[in-house]
Amino acid sequence: MSQFDAIFQPIEIGKLTIRNRVVSTAHAEVHATDGGMTTDRYVKYYEEKAKGGCGLCICGGSSVVSIDSPQAWWSSVNLSTDRIIPHFQNLADAVHKHGGKIMIQITHMGRRSRWDGYNWSTLLSPSGIREPVHRSTCKTIEPEEIERIIGDYAQAARRAKEGGLDGVELSAVHQHLIDQFWSPRVNKRTDEWGGSFENRMRFGMEVLKAVREEVGPDFVVGMRICGDEFHPDGLTHEDMKQIAAYYDATGLLDFFGVIGSGCDTHNTLANVIPNMSFPPEPFLHLASGIKEVVKVPVIHAQNIKDPNQAQRILEGGYVDMVGMTRAHIADPHIIAKIKMGQIDQIRQCVGANYCIDRQYQGLDVLCIQNAATSREYMGLPHIIEKTEGVIRKVVVVGGGPAGMEAARVAAERGHSVVLFEGQAQLGGQITLAAKAPQRDQMAGITRWYQLELARLNVDVRLNSFADEHTIKAEQPDIVILAVGGKPFIDQFPEWGAEEGLVVSSWDILDGKVEPGKNVLVYDTICEFSGMSVADYLSEKGSQVELVTDDIKPGAAVGGTTFPTYYRSLYPKEVIMTSDLALHKVYREGEQLIAVLENEYTGQLEERVVDQVVVENGVRPDEALYYALKPQSLNKGQVDIEALYAIEAQPSLQTSTQGDDFLLFRLGDCTAPRNTHAAIYDALRLCKDF
Amino acid sequence: MLNQILPLLIFGALLVAVIGAVKRVKLWRNGRPAKVPILAGLAAMPRRYLVDLHHVVARDKYISNTHVATGGGFVLALLLIILVHGLQLNSQFLAWALLAATGSMFVGAVFVAKRRVQPPSRLSKGPWMRLPKSLFAFSLGFFLVTLPATGLIPVEWGGWLVAILLGAVILWGLSEMLLGMTWGGPMKHAFAGALHLAFHRRAERFNGGRSTGLKPLNLDKEHEPLGVNQPSEFTWNQLLGFDACVQCGRCESVCPAFAAGQPLNPKKLIQDMVVGLAGGTDAGYTGSAYPGKTVGEHQGGPFASIIAQEGQGLLDAETLWSCTTCRACVEECPMMIEHVDAIVDMRRHLTLERGATPNKGSEVIDNLIATDNPNGFNPQSRMNWAADLSLPVLSDVKRTDVLLWMGDGAFDMRNQRSLRALVKILRAAKVDFAVLGNEERDSGDVARRLGDEATFQRLAKENVTTLAQYSFRSIVTCDPHSFHVLKNEYGDFGGRYVVYHHTTYINQLRQIGKLHFAPYKGGSVTYHDPCYLGRYNGEYEAPRDLLKAAGITLVDMERSGYRSRCCGGGGGAPITDIPGKQRIPDMRMDDIRSTGAERVAVGCPQCTAMLEGVVEPRPEVLDIAEIIANQLVDEEVTL
Repeated sequence: MSQFDAIFQPIEIGKLTIRNRVVSTAHAEVHATDGGMTTDRYVKYYEEKAKGGCGLCICGGSSVVSIDSPQAWWSSVNLSTDRIIPHFQNLADAVHKHGGKIMIQITHMGRRSRWDGYNWSTLLSPSGIREPVHRSTCKTIEPEEIERIIGDYAQAARRAKEGGLDGVELSAVHQHLIDQFWSPRVNKRTDEWGGSFENRMRFGMEVLKAVREEVGPDFVVGMRICGDEFHPDGLTHEDMKQIAAYYDATGLLDFFGVIGSGCDTHNTLANVIPNMSFPPEPFLHLASGIKEVVKVPVIHAQNIKDPNQAQRILEGGYVDMVGMTRAHIADPHIIAKIKMGQIDQIRQCVGANYCIDRQYQGLDVLCIQNAATSREYMGLPHIIEKTEGVIRKVVVVGGGPAGMEAARVAAERGHSVVLFEGQAQLGGQITLAAKAPQRDQMAGITRWYQLELARLNVDVRLNSFADEHTIKAEQPDIVILAVGGKPFIDQFPEWGAEEGLVVSSWDILDGKVEPGKNVLVYDTICEFSGMSVADYLSEKGSQVELVTDDIKPGAAVGGTTFPTYYRSLYPKEVIMTSDLALHKVYREGEQLIAVLENEYTGQLEERVVDQVVVENGVRPDEALYYALKPQSLNKGQVDIEALYAIEAQPSLQTSTQGDDFLLFRLGDCTAPRNTHAAIYDALRLCKDF
Repeated sequence: MLNQILPLLIFGALLVAVIGAVKRVKLWRNGRPAKVPILAGLAAMPRRYLVDLHHVVARDKYISNTHVATGGGFVLALLLIILVHGLQLNSQFLAWALLAATGSMFVGAVFVAKRRVQPPSRLSKGPWMRLPKSLFAFSLGFFLVTLPATGLIPVEWGGWLVAILLGAVILWGLSEMLLGMTWGGPMKHAFAGALHLAFHRRAERFNGGRSTGLKPLNLDKEHEPLGVNQPSEFTWNQLLGFDACVQCGRCESVCPAFAAGQPLNPKKLIQDMVVGLAGGTDAGYTGSAYPGKTVGEHQGGPFASIIAQEGQGLLDAETLWSCTTCRACVEECPMMIEHVDAIVDMRRHLTLERGATPNKGSEVIDNLIATDNPNGFNPQSRMNWAADLSLPVLSDVKRTDVLLWMGDGAFDMRNQRSLRALVKILRAAKVDFAVLGNEERDSGDVARRLGDEATFQRLAKENVTTLAQYSFRSIVTCDPHSFHVLKNEYGDFGGRYVVYHHTTYINQLRQIGKLHFAPYKGGSVTYHDPCYLGRYNGEYEAPRDLLKAAGITLVDMERSGYRSRCCGGGGGAPITDIPGKQRIPDMRMDDIRSTGAERVAVGCPQCTAMLEGVVEPRPEVLDIAEIIANQLVDEEVTL
């Protein structure tokens, strides 16, 4: 028996054969931009997954069936018009020609949306109760509207079928309209659409019947549900089993997709797309519970990222198919690599949730570590071809994300690559990020690069600070600087960095400085670093106050991650204070006095602590760049028109024989940004070397 | 004086030789009957010798020229000796001819002697070291005694001392050349070899033919042994064949198991059979031993067990299980001995009579019995690899142009890539094809080579029955083992098909313009000939043509074509897994590396598995179908 045979058992869903047990489950892509019509970008994104061997793609998370379920906020797919049909045909053809199958999730989101834009739709809900995550109010839905929307579902399903898709998934999850009717928490109706179990089930049942009647028996119709809303007044696991069995008994459904947790609060939302702080497949038992009571196949997705895990789940028979959605965002070729026996080459999702956190900000879904994902349409490759041009000597300085990606891509192109890294290990700031509690999986990004650089025979020189001479001794044709920067704790002299009154979050996470007993963390950035250092310190026993001049500590951390920080910080009594800027630090005896100034009143207050940690981002390290710049052929300049057009740098046409070389810099040593930006910079620049 | 003695010596020697021959024939006749056309065989023998056998011998020009001079000289000399010295015909012409014949023989003997100065390790020593001297004695002795008959020197010359000396030399020569021929000396090869050619069990091999399919075992005859455990259980002409061995060791030098240090040496195996048929121990054997085994500890007789039980026997079972059935020995043997047949015959005994298939062997056989595939996969999952390809299945479509035989590689994730590439090619060429789907069973190749003839025959018959329900023009498969069995071994069970290896078929598609290739961008490629495609079926060219047509620079290994070295994967060898000093695929990968190629093209799932099992870094291993599928211009066909 092969190691992963359970993954590669085909399965029948309705009358459809799926080639393996792996699904890319529905998520909002946030790039069906053309008025809700799927675009070339959308098609290429799914085509890549099909090419990579994914069995079933369910696209279009929260694709709307009705005109009054706003789609524009998240650019989701609009199935409320026949105009979508030819777009679907392109999508279906692209996936089918690689042997994949594709369905779409359809829904009416009810109250779970925003009303303050586009059509200024009045949102609808069974009992008009406000939804906290989107801060959305709504009206109580009327029976006429219910009937209209049931019809809209049927028409939307017809459009999916006519567009050549293989099926639809009715969303009754994430508190959309169907499960808004189900949940007594938000359905307080006393008419035939609320109250008793049958009445609460009625809307979903009528939708199902109408859809099935419209599409006939040969088209797949499934339903996505949650396994437990995790609210004291919400639907429990036993309720959900009852509901699943009730719908299954109609024989009208072909599959269930099951996930754990409701998601109409910030805290429950974080469960739905479990980040790296969660254990593997944390809610499998819920899906498995549903499988116990239904006859049709059950799909489960949530933190299933590696083939061993998928095999174990499938072999154990917990569910019939596994959703590996973020796994596919990180590496759309994951299935092909499993089949090729290239397990070590899989770029594994680390659960950083860059993808989903962008989605909740209305931004297109991108991967923290794979800059090609969702940029296939631009010509960014997942598989980098060898160059047919000259083979060059490429010297990369700095082994952080930008440097590692640059080295990888240049080596894939067939160049001879040397990578200098001053530290004893690769990773740069990723290494620091991974030191924090619950953030260790960040190191998975580095792990993959280490394996790839070894596979590609990149000459990685650790503990090697490169200066002008060492670089030129390599006789490079191209020099890439990705040296990052230094913590910017000396922005204001009053902070006393020179005098050693404050330390950086790097010093703490790196273990260079012992945690103090009573620590003030001052965080101007409000992203992961400040939260992480506070979490790290409190984990080590420090009493921590996390202060920011911004609106809230962690304000820029995405919606699926700040809740898990809070879950860790509150029990350890970390105090989170906003609106105070660090004015000055001075020593008084053994103690440090931190003077804080209220952003809005100017009022000063003091804290007596024994350690002040400043997280004020990164200051680029530019010395090496300016030393090399005058000697380089291109004077260090990037042609940004070519770069943005994903085309080769014109300077690559020039000969780099003899002592001549081209110079580029990437990542934080240009300007401080994030991991994705560093990797994207490197990929789009180096892919044409 | 010598003139009076010579006829006595000559006819005496001939008489003793005839007695020896009768005794030897009786030994052979201990074997089981075999249907052989005696007269037709004898009539065909000279041609088989001069053409077919010489074709093999001539691969070594040195020894073939030497043999023509020595052997040809001897045969002619012997005839003339009988006339000139035996019957005392007084003819100067005959005498001159005899001088010439012995002269030729002498020159040959010089070269035989030269090669024996520092003989290569593959050659047996012992009596064979004496042979060149005996050849000198014979040729020189008769040369000298013939001189008077030519009138060059007086009839009476030299006196009695010379006569005695000359007589002794001639006696030595006659003994070696005539007595040795039938009483077990090196010259036995001439006598047994000639008859072996006449009564060869695979007469189809001659006149440029090919015969590689194993002969079926009759499972219905209750009293016949299942396979061979005693020399007497071989057919008589097999025993005769063993006796033809010249111990040249060409088989030894090409045997992958021997090179890997596994306990097999085909030459020793044949010599053990000779010991067995005549009775005795192997102590007299003077060639290379089975690696890791000591010579002189085994013994046997015509009716004694060959395969050792509790240390008693001619050879150990692991010797038989080391063989990959690659046929390199058979291909190389100048005496056209059939080593593989003998090994499989004895394996049949081990598996069917003793139930002693070693290591994973019995598990594989159990799997084949229970699931019709060697790894025990659910037989209903044979089509899983193609779940997304919508392949036409014969049970639906009933008729097709090409039946794509998937083989058990259908269960293997690696081979599935080759199969998918093949499907892509067939679709690009718009070939009308279908598969048997879950109705396909293992071809029986492994079962048969592991000696389980019963399971093989069951699988063969069931496949033949299944195939009989449908209409198709030809079978195409990417598995040379299935290819061989379907093409060459199903005939005995009523299955006669037109079968193509996929490389042959794809090459035909290319030749009729159905495939178009984009320029090849990679580096150089070497091609590994699968044994069951090359030596078993003579297909060396199509894979090479195809690769070249795709614009690939092909560099051949030193061991390629009919001399290709096995990957180690045939004959169930990876299953019985007899330990050696190194692994065969590692050696093969070294052959590949030495070409400097960055890829090795293969045409066999087994070869792919074995070569990919070699630790990296190593050249990339790709099936030809994968390479070709990558080169297709037609962008519309994607999978």
